[in-house]
Amino acid sequence: MAENTPSSYPLPPMQAAPPVSPWWLAISRQTPAFLLPIGTAFLFLLGWQVIAVYGKISPAILPPPTMILEQLRDNFPLIMSHSYPTTIETLVAFLISIPLGIALAALLVYSTLAQQALYPNIIFFQLIPKIALAPLFIVWLGIGPSARITFSVFICFFPILIATAAGLRAVETNMLRLCRSLRMSEWQILIRVRFPTSAPYIFSGMKVSVTLAIIGVVVGEFIASEQGLGYLILFASSREQTDLALGCIAILCVVGLLLYGLVVAAERVVMSLYDFR
Amino acid sequence: MLPEISCERVRKVYGTGGRAFEAVRAATFSIENGEFVSLLGPSGCGKSTLLMMIAGLESVTEGRVLAGGVPVDEPRAEIGIVFQDPTLLPWKTALQNILFPIEMMHRSRAAYVERAMELLRLVGLHDASNKRPGQLSGGMKQRVSLCRALIADPAILLMDEPFSALDAITRDDMNIVLLALWERYRKTVLFVTHSIREAALLSDRILVMGRNPSTIIADHQVPFARPRHFSIGETAEFNELCGMLRDEVTRARQGEVMQDGGHG
Repeated sequence: MAENTPSSYPLPPMQAAPPVSPWWLAISRQTPAFLLPIGTAFLFLLGWQVIAVYGKISPAILPPPTMILEQLRDNFPLIMSHSYPTTIETLVAFLISIPLGIALAALLVYSTLAQQALYPNIIFFQLIPKIALAPLFIVWLGIGPSARITFSVFICFFPILIATAAGLRAVETNMLRLCRSLRMSEWQILIRVRFPTSAPYIFSGMKVSVTLAIIGVVVGEFIASEQGLGYLILFASSREQTDLALGCIAILCVVGLLLYGLVVAAERVVMSLYDFR
Repeated sequence: MLPEISCERVRKVYGTGGRAFEAVRAATFSIENGEFVSLLGPSGCGKSTLLMMIAGLESVTEGRVLAGGVPVDEPRAEIGIVFQDPTLLPWKTALQNILFPIEMMHRSRAAYVERAMELLRLVGLHDASNKRPGQLSGGMKQRVSLCRALIADPAILLMDEPFSALDAITRDDMNIVLLALWERYRKTVLFVTHSIREAALLSDRILVMGRNPSTIIADHQVPFARPRHFSIGETAEFNELCGMLRDEVTRARQGEVMQDGGHG
């Protein structure tokens, strides 16, 4: 075909894309990623402040954010003294639930008997609204930290168990055949192949679990305790000190964020040791 | 001299009673030392099961499998395997993956690093030794897995459709790589495939496996001289062989048993 003959099927003229994008897209592209969520939160707090101050709402119902900040400043030693046991108990419960969840998952994956005997029951167990069982833990174990820690472990080991079991099973059939062809023992396969393969699964389970651990401890404190942020929130609410209660909740958020950050940091370290890509 | 691999009326049945399923029936064949044999057949005919029994990864229901004259009842160090998927550990580099069997056999790693590098050079990956599987293409990963199967210098190499997950161009490349490796090391190879041209290009002998019953229905010598080049694929003899094999596989798929093992 001659190169200069015009095509018998002329293409429609190209349409240029509109040169300007809408302003909201321009904003989201040009601002750093962390600014937008902070800006939104700031606007929310500002709106809250305006409504609480000019809406003539009683501080017992909705104290303005500045009042909460004042409470945090004035009662800082008190709030900190109650934050300490809550944090420690959460951490202890979480640290117990990790090996517990992983060991149970390994048992379920390796023993068909355990799998058949336990797995349906564990699932059934999860269907119970476990919060409803919290008072019984107090009955069984008293009002000390052991009841709260046990209850917290009871609700937070499950995501680790499920995620680990999924991870241990994620090893492909041919990978297992390769291991067997290299005459690796089941223990070697577990340590050298199954665990590293399931590391990303275990960490995602831990991220869910660490938030549940705090819930467990705070619910325990609500029911019966003499210290802790849950206790202080309940105490403040009963005296209509809503600003103090909200201050405690803010600290609870900080504790949760710190613990979550700890898991993320641990994940980074482990993953860089293994270096998944 | 005894054949390197021999199967005597090997049968494999999964399950029991009414739900029993016969995956392989009375497969009998042998492979000489240093021979490259392809096992060709339609999918689901039991080729892979047969390979796994030779590898010692599946039990034999009836009959006998011998490797190096010794009955196979468990995996052995002198048998290397390449699977359909590369089965590399994602957190290890190419070199570490290749040395993984050495580690697991408790041999001295240092003594094998040089061999691993030589294998990587032979498959054209000498500058990828420190890359992780996530940074390698499908064909590159399969090359690494080929090196891993050869690192401990096994007498027998079993390959279970190793290139079937790759695109056609990569697959041709891999065939060339495998030809070069085989000509260098002369292992006894059993190569499971459902690609007729691949089998004809690579093998000294081709065993055709049928379905209903799943057994060896034909055994062909491949007459082409070595070293082979990809260009033999264009010769009339090559295409004639492929045509004949294609007829057999087609009939095997329909469940006909060819008593004479020939074409017609």
